[in-house]
Amino acid sequence: MPKSLSLIWKLLRKHISIFELAIFFVVNLIGMTVIIGGVQLYSDIKPVMSGENRLIGSDYLVVTRPVERVGSGGKRFTAEDIAELKSQEFIADVGAFTASEYEVYGSIMFGGRRLSTMLFFESVPDAFLDVRPREWEYNAGDDFIPIILPRNYLNLYNFGFSSTQQLPQITEDVIKRVELGISLRGNGLIEDYTGRVVGFSDRINTILVPEQFMVWTNARYGEGENEDATRLIIEVDNPTEPELVAYINANGYEIENKPAESSKAMQVVKVCIVIIVCIGVVFSLLSLIILTLSIYLLLQKNVSKLENLVLIGYTPARVALPYNLLTLILNISIWVISTTMVVVAQRLYIGYISQMVGCELPASPMVAICVGALFTAVIIAFNFYIINRKIREISRKR
Amino acid sequence: MDRITLKGVVPEIFASRDGISSDIWLREVSLERGKRYLVRAESGTGKSSLCSYIYGQRGDYRGTILFDNEDISRYDSNRWSGIRQKQISILFQELRLFGELTAFENVWIKNSITNFKSREEIFDLFEQLGIADKLDGRTDRLSYGQQQRVALIRALCQPFSFLLLDEPISHLDDKNSDVMRDVILREVVKQGAGMIATSIGKQMNIDYDLCLNL
Repeated sequence: MPKSLSLIWKLLRKHISIFELAIFFVVNLIGMTVIIGGVQLYSDIKPVMSGENRLIGSDYLVVTRPVERVGSGGKRFTAEDIAELKSQEFIADVGAFTASEYEVYGSIMFGGRRLSTMLFFESVPDAFLDVRPREWEYNAGDDFIPIILPRNYLNLYNFGFSSTQQLPQITEDVIKRVELGISLRGNGLIEDYTGRVVGFSDRINTILVPEQFMVWTNARYGEGENEDATRLIIEVDNPTEPELVAYINANGYEIENKPAESSKAMQVVKVCIVIIVCIGVVFSLLSLIILTLSIYLLLQKNVSKLENLVLIGYTPARVALPYNLLTLILNISIWVISTTMVVVAQRLYIGYISQMVGCELPASPMVAICVGALFTAVIIAFNFYIINRKIREISRKR
Repeated sequence: MDRITLKGVVPEIFASRDGISSDIWLREVSLERGKRYLVRAESGTGKSSLCSYIYGQRGDYRGTILFDNEDISRYDSNRWSGIRQKQISILFQELRLFGELTAFENVWIKNSITNFKSREEIFDLFEQLGIADKLDGRTDRLSYGQQQRVALIRALCQPFSFLLLDEPISHLDDKNSDVMRDVILREVVKQGAGMIATSIGKQMNIDYDLCLNL
């Protein structure tokens, strides 16, 4: 068998054009690398774009009603308002902000003195949070209150306030270690709690406490007068959806965290990646055409030899074998090299993106390997089909 | 395979011709294993066509060709490959050797799919046919008569029920023809095969069981 194969190879390699094969190899290598690189990149940054703590875009919007005049207080959202929002098909879910209906005083010990200030709390259902700290839990009557602050409060202090006042900058870890004295007053009760910041949110711009805590304390210290929500948080599939924008405007609502710019950025990234992958596909198709033509030409030049081989008893499959092996080796080499290049590229960019997002992204090249394998299999199958069809055509009797 | 039967076979291009007088075309002819046939023909009477039809190389004929009782027009490529490896061997008039391979490689490329003869047996055939010194020479550098002998050795490197010889000695002198005849007969007898030789004049000196005029 190897002997006969090497003889057939000696016979059939004569017209193989190294130049044509080299062009196919290079073009397909570029195409394959671009395709699997694009798909891998997309899969790597997809969690950043659509998962929790996303970098770009937001599927969560905070809806408010505008303050109409000083002192009037914003109109609240009734249960009917919420039900109507929920019924819109472009809105996936609606969560209400609940505000504290009692007085909150916070204090810290600073340089031996107690500094005290008035505060407020709000809560939203846990499902709408972008962070879920370990200590984010409250059971009625607990002394400890976990708090989530907006990350931009800290930024405001660090980059706006402290630098102009010659005060030290503070890290998140330092803040998380500071104990706050919390005093709640209402319904004739004054009670002390211990609070501590347990996390920072990029999504929600308020001082958050767990919803269970809010329910329990509003019942305990509040008057129970107003249960309507002050603000709403809605989850949407596409924050730039025109219907959504029209609906919000028509009802006189306002969007607090306007997503337009970041959402556009996400769209641009998506479009760019689609274009990159398309270019890769074009390259691969081009290379496929080159290889197909090259094989056709090769078979055509060897047609009398192929015919003679069939006439002395070779099966078409056996005659096709050297050509099949040739394309197999070429395509598998391309797959291996392009996958290697993408894996190396991924090593380089994943660190950069992780740094940008501020969390460690998993650097698994599985997507590149699988997509590459799929494409390679399709190309090999196509090559085999072309070769075998042509050889059957030659071996068919006239 | 014991019998090749031709029923009313005629090349398509002859079909419209009137007055074909032939022992084969448009008749029923049965060629049997173990017997030796000579098909005598003038040029242009379709001698090579006949070989091509029986060998499954061409299908441009009317009528039916049967191997035992099977109509060969239904065979697919793989079936023909099997037949060309085990049932029918042919010495093409146009030889169909691979010019860029050596004489030995031309034989070995066939033998490597049939594994029918040992290297030594092949060397021995080269020896008997007087071309042992050409074993490793490129085939396209050999004379036609030498090439004819290489093609014959290749044709003998397989089991067969029938051996088709299309003008086997057209380019050989009498001495070499006799050597070739001996080699062929030895193999045909050994395999108990049928032999169908064509000729347009020069023919091997054999006791044919039947001579057919095409």
